[in-house]
Amino acid sequence: MRKSIYLIGVLVFHFSTLSAQSRQIYGKIIDAKDHSSLSGVTVTLKGARGNALSTADGSFSIKAGPKATSLRFSYIGYEDLEVPIDAGSSPLVITMSASQKALSEVVVVGYGKALKKDITGAIAQVNAKDIENFPAPSFESAIQGKAAGVVVTSGSGKLGQAIQVNIRGISSISASSQPLYVVDGLPVTTASMSDMTNDDTNPLADINPNDIESVEVLKDASAAAIYGARAGNGVVLITTRKGKAGQKTVIELNTSHSTSNPARKWKFLDAKQYIRLMRQAAVSDGTYDFTNNISGYATVEDGINDFWDNVYKPVLDQYSLGTKWQDTAVNSNWQKQLYHHNAPSSQVNLSATGGNDKTRFFISGFYNTQDAIVINNRFTRYGARFNLDHTASDRLLFGLNLAVDRSQLNRVTNDDAFSTPGQLVAQIPISPLIDPATGLPNARTLYPSGIYDALYDFDHQVTFRTIGNAYANLKILPTLSFQSEFGTDILNLTENEFQGKESQDGAGIGKGSLVTSQSVTYNTNNYFTFTPHIGDEHKLTAVLGMSYLQNNFEHSSASGEGFPSDAVKNLDGATNITGAATSDYKYTFLSYFLRANYSFRDRYLFSVSDRIDGSSRFSPAHRYGNFPAVSAGWVLSEESFLQHSSPFSFLKLRASYGLTGNSEIGENQFQSLYAVTNYPLLPGFSPSQLGSDKLRWEKSAQFDAGLNFGILKNRIIGEVDYYHKHTTDLLLNTNIPATTGYASNGTATIYQNLGVMDNKGIEISLTSQNLTGAFKWTTTFNLAYNKNRVGDIKGQIITSGVQRAVEGQPIGTFYLQKFAGVDPATGDAQYIDSTGKKTTTDYTQAARLVAGKYTPDYTGGLTNTFSYAGVDLSVFFYFVTGNKIYNGGGTYMTAGFYNGWDNQTVDLMNAWQKPGDKTNVPRIGYYYGSGADGASTRWLYKGDYLRMKNVTLGYTLPGGALKSAGIKSARIYISGTNLLTFTKYPGDPEVNTNVVSNIAGGRDFYTIPQARTFTLGLNVKF
Amino acid sequence: MKKLLYIPTIVFVFLLASSCNKKLEVLPQNNATPDQIKTSADVQALLFGAYEQLQSYSAFGEQFMLIPDLLASKDQVDWVGTYASYKQVKNKKIVASNSIASSMWGNGYKVIGICNTVLDKLSVVDSADKATVEGEALFMRGTIYFELLGIYARPFSDGNAATNPGLPIVLVPTYKYDSTKGKPARATVAATYTQIISDLQGAIAKLPSSNGSFRADVYSAKAILSRVYLSMLDYANAATQANDVIVSKNFTLTDTYDKAFNNSVNSTEDIFAIQQTSQSNVGTSNQGLSTFYAPNQGLPVGQTVGRGDAQIDAGYIVYFEAGDRRASFVTVGKSIAGADGTYPNKWQQFYKAMPVVRLAEMYLTRGEANLLSGGSVGGVDPLDDINTVRARSGASLLATVTGQDFVDERFRELGFEGDRFWTLKRLKLNVDGFGYDDNKVIMPLPQSELDVNANLKQNQ
Repeated sequence: MRKSIYLIGVLVFHFSTLSAQSRQIYGKIIDAKDHSSLSGVTVTLKGARGNALSTADGSFSIKAGPKATSLRFSYIGYEDLEVPIDAGSSPLVITMSASQKALSEVVVVGYGKALKKDITGAIAQVNAKDIENFPAPSFESAIQGKAAGVVVTSGSGKLGQAIQVNIRGISSISASSQPLYVVDGLPVTTASMSDMTNDDTNPLADINPNDIESVEVLKDASAAAIYGARAGNGVVLITTRKGKAGQKTVIELNTSHSTSNPARKWKFLDAKQYIRLMRQAAVSDGTYDFTNNISGYATVEDGINDFWDNVYKPVLDQYSLGTKWQDTAVNSNWQKQLYHHNAPSSQVNLSATGGNDKTRFFISGFYNTQDAIVINNRFTRYGARFNLDHTASDRLLFGLNLAVDRSQLNRVTNDDAFSTPGQLVAQIPISPLIDPATGLPNARTLYPSGIYDALYDFDHQVTFRTIGNAYANLKILPTLSFQSEFGTDILNLTENEFQGKESQDGAGIGKGSLVTSQSVTYNTNNYFTFTPHIGDEHKLTAVLGMSYLQNNFEHSSASGEGFPSDAVKNLDGATNITGAATSDYKYTFLSYFLRANYSFRDRYLFSVSDRIDGSSRFSPAHRYGNFPAVSAGWVLSEESFLQHSSPFSFLKLRASYGLTGNSEIGENQFQSLYAVTNYPLLPGFSPSQLGSDKLRWEKSAQFDAGLNFGILKNRIIGEVDYYHKHTTDLLLNTNIPATTGYASNGTATIYQNLGVMDNKGIEISLTSQNLTGAFKWTTTFNLAYNKNRVGDIKGQIITSGVQRAVEGQPIGTFYLQKFAGVDPATGDAQYIDSTGKKTTTDYTQAARLVAGKYTPDYTGGLTNTFSYAGVDLSVFFYFVTGNKIYNGGGTYMTAGFYNGWDNQTVDLMNAWQKPGDKTNVPRIGYYYGSGADGASTRWLYKGDYLRMKNVTLGYTLPGGALKSAGIKSARIYISGTNLLTFTKYPGDPEVNTNVVSNIAGGRDFYTIPQARTFTLGLNVKF
Repeated sequence: MKKLLYIPTIVFVFLLASSCNKKLEVLPQNNATPDQIKTSADVQALLFGAYEQLQSYSAFGEQFMLIPDLLASKDQVDWVGTYASYKQVKNKKIVASNSIASSMWGNGYKVIGICNTVLDKLSVVDSADKATVEGEALFMRGTIYFELLGIYARPFSDGNAATNPGLPIVLVPTYKYDSTKGKPARATVAATYTQIISDLQGAIAKLPSSNGSFRADVYSAKAILSRVYLSMLDYANAATQANDVIVSKNFTLTDTYDKAFNNSVNSTEDIFAIQQTSQSNVGTSNQGLSTFYAPNQGLPVGQTVGRGDAQIDAGYIVYFEAGDRRASFVTVGKSIAGADGTYPNKWQQFYKAMPVVRLAEMYLTRGEANLLSGGSVGGVDPLDDINTVRARSGASLLATVTGQDFVDERFRELGFEGDRFWTLKRLKLNVDGFGYDDNKVIMPLPQSELDVNANLKQNQ
């Protein structure tokens, strides 16, 4: 092996023999800032052949021939340094400085690291400072708006909920569109393991955001294809903090306290308005009945009085519980009851980092408790991390990244449960909060009061998570190393639910359940990295390896009812066990990968990669998929014609093309299956799934062309990308006739590889250091445009409620009856009929039509950071445009009593009353109301918004004052999130009820709005 | 020395890789695969799976009763719930994408698919069990076709059965999906009836006179067949089938009306009933007859809490004379959306057996069929048949009987059991203000099915 490297050297360069005048040059390399030793620095001779690497303590030794003129030191993340060789200078002390240029940053890539300037793929990087101290349980919230083309959607202000992350659009219909998350080389579990009847939760919340050093998002095929089959939706690489050699131990304390309130609320009627609207509805019903001669009233007044006296007034009498509603004696704000006013949060994070030549470490512990803005929803967690790296010898390096944590999520029921606090808004304002007869919370409300569920029910989800990854790196040759990694991700979840007999969900008998789940992933990566020195002008890095991943998932649940009282809340208190089940699932991936990066004169960059993946998710005949990628870059700024005159201090053009895959459809989908049935005394089987052994990988071919530039000595740096992602062989859960006998909930489906989908887009990122003096001002901006189009799916209709995948339209298109305003003569709602040209007032004759989509066209973020004399201020705006939001609660809360006595939104005050009224709110009425028969675009709104996401003002105390106290630095800050929102949507526009789905999105259903949070924090380093 | 280091590592990696290859074979652990249906017991297990589908809310657990009752709701059922799909049925504004339309259809054809599979695999079944298994499969298939036909197609009584579209008739199982096949068109109503009668006659020929406590037996098939003939206005045959059930003496009326309902197992008058337990049931929070018919609020602690979305219409009580205990077999309460009302006690408890066809109906069928056909099947006067049913509930005994008496008696006796709809349609009576064969009073074929089967045509 070694011979062959020499041979390459011989072929490429003139071989010069070592002469007798050669001499040994030695010395030590240290970091300019903290004087820590730098190991692994490449030392190259100029003018002659020869190179060496610095050892663990930073020392190096190299034999220099007579022709050698100077030494060149290069190290990832540091400025290259050239030192002339002159006699008698050994031992040298070489001081290297970390790169100042943003373009020289180190970027973590799959199975390795690289310099940003050498990268030929599209990778977005988010650094620790953007993530730490963000007042959300999970780091994805913090990267919202920070990386172009990465759309992060948190569906509500409930804590612990799943968050949807889409990189460059949605590229699948039936398979998952969520990226692969890799923590320190280990792919981690991200799928919710929660009780199926409630919303998805987010296992990524188990990663302490303050432990994160950087997050890299691999967006194009060149960057992601090394993760092949699982990279179809992009890859998010999370790197946790590590200690550095020669660094003095730094102890860091981070603590903060926050209070939160809803950022934006729907406006509902107060008691006076409610009574007025009831009266109006009685007039409306009475008039309609009289006019159409339905009941045969003698006069219109008779009709109105009859409706008022016998329909409307009794409702007011009944629910006011004897209070004088006529005088608005009671004006209850039920909406207020669902919120936890000034919900507090606090977190403490303590870490220590340091190390010497042999051993480096990072240790941290944290405690965090957050109350949601909605009652009964709290997230508490604590945990620790231990990252250790040990240099055993010049050849052997090994280490461990280990994190353990426990989190507890106290949950409320999902948005469409009557018991969920969000539905308290349906209670009517004349209904007292406290029952005057009992002095207890009112139980004689319109709907069973969710207050009782809040008082007597709980849903506690406790997670224990251990994520650990051990590695060993062996230098077989100076140019060849072998890395072996073994990691496990163990997730244990216990969900304990109880519904007391006093509550709505307890149904008078009390109910309880216990769900336990265990997900164990183990993964091993084994790969060679080959970095031959083939002269100054050529750089080659090659990686070859394999990976195996296995996940075992076990689930068990038990439920019972008939609790004698609330005294015993676990299943020991249940007198009737109504269900018990266990199940287990397993999947495996076996992968081989290789990658080679080659650059010539730092100007011409090439990269090829390939990955072969096998998965248990497909039948033996279609198990393996091949995912190659190629890319090239040209650093124009290194060319002589651009080097001096041009405004560009850096300019790189790059392009890539490659394949990635998707297999995220769950287990056993290619097999036909029978499910066990438990009809009393007759244990049986019933067909549950029709399989297809032809099922194979979904593939995305992605082309990316981009450029990176720096202007004015890199004062302004930027990146522009165009991409086209073409997904074929979609893993489509297609509808087939139910007459096949495989229907479940009314439709029969089968997974087939069918159809294509395209995502095209442009991404722009800019960072400008506007002012660099004592007063610093930096602006960063990113903008992404994505256009999704569902291609030929062979006429398949894939539906999720009011949304579907429609050929030629973007995924997630709303497919709805189109509301065409109000007939001024009758007050009837009008809809577009099947001719598309005429309107009809018969809802059953209304045609379902394409009416917009939930995915945005443009997303972006703008951050301005200012600092002066220890004071820093950052202001961050986020925006989305081009999306629609559907308020599924509209048919109740904006229905004008047609669907019940629910309190109504204030826009109902503009309802049609008499012929000639011009309004877009149809006639109201419990009997003859119009427009509330069902779903229509009446409840569809523009979803564009601009949000002042975060403002942080910090002050770093002057160093001198603190030194005597042993404090290195201290910073206090206050920050606010979601301070301002500009939108036409009447609720909170950052909304999506309970589903993480490709087709369904942008739906509001009594959903809890986002929180507006104020934080006071302190960061101290000792 | 250096070679010694990396050769073992390479060997190690590839050893690891080759041993992993086998690990890509992962068998389903929570389901059986078709190749595991091998023995007589396996095929019977499949048959038992069909019973579970009959229990579903999409079948006899709820919709086969509630949906006809909402379609023929006048004087019977009010809908005060929030579910738009049910409200559409009640208001006769049913869109083709209505989820009930697809759930009854999908579940029905699932039962048919299982029955077809069982019939296909009969050769595996032990000879001792073969006839019974075949009979049960035919019974369930015929029964499902009959229920679906009434719900999705025009009634036989309109005289155009030979041309009116009925149901797609599927008699062979699907083991593998082929997109070019398996798109059946609708057979005519008459052809569907032919299949139903053939299945039920086949079942009668194969089924034993008693088949455990609640699996279908020959009388289950005869009782359903009496309904089939009744709906075809074939009164002689309807009376014959009903009479066979009555004279078998396998069933007796419970001594009081209330004892016919909310039993843990079949009552003495249940000819065929759905079983439930706390572990196997149609649902307790969003589905099932008791969920909709049991009130939600204003109950003593411990009483079943449902949603209370379906209430007894005020017009129902008018049908009863004082002293008729069926009139007071009700519960007062409040719905989940706050509406006060009364609820039928037939469906007040979870986890109880749900009658599909009761002996009382056989008396009414025999009596009416004899009356209308002028026959005397069973040698019993129609007046005696109606009075048998009335006497049990404390209603006065009639001195003479008319066809209308039977119509009203069926309503009194079989209210909230899905019968009214069939009676009105058979006799060409007005259904909730619509003509008996108006498309507004049947369910539309599910849009999802029309979308994937171009050979299907919507009702029009």
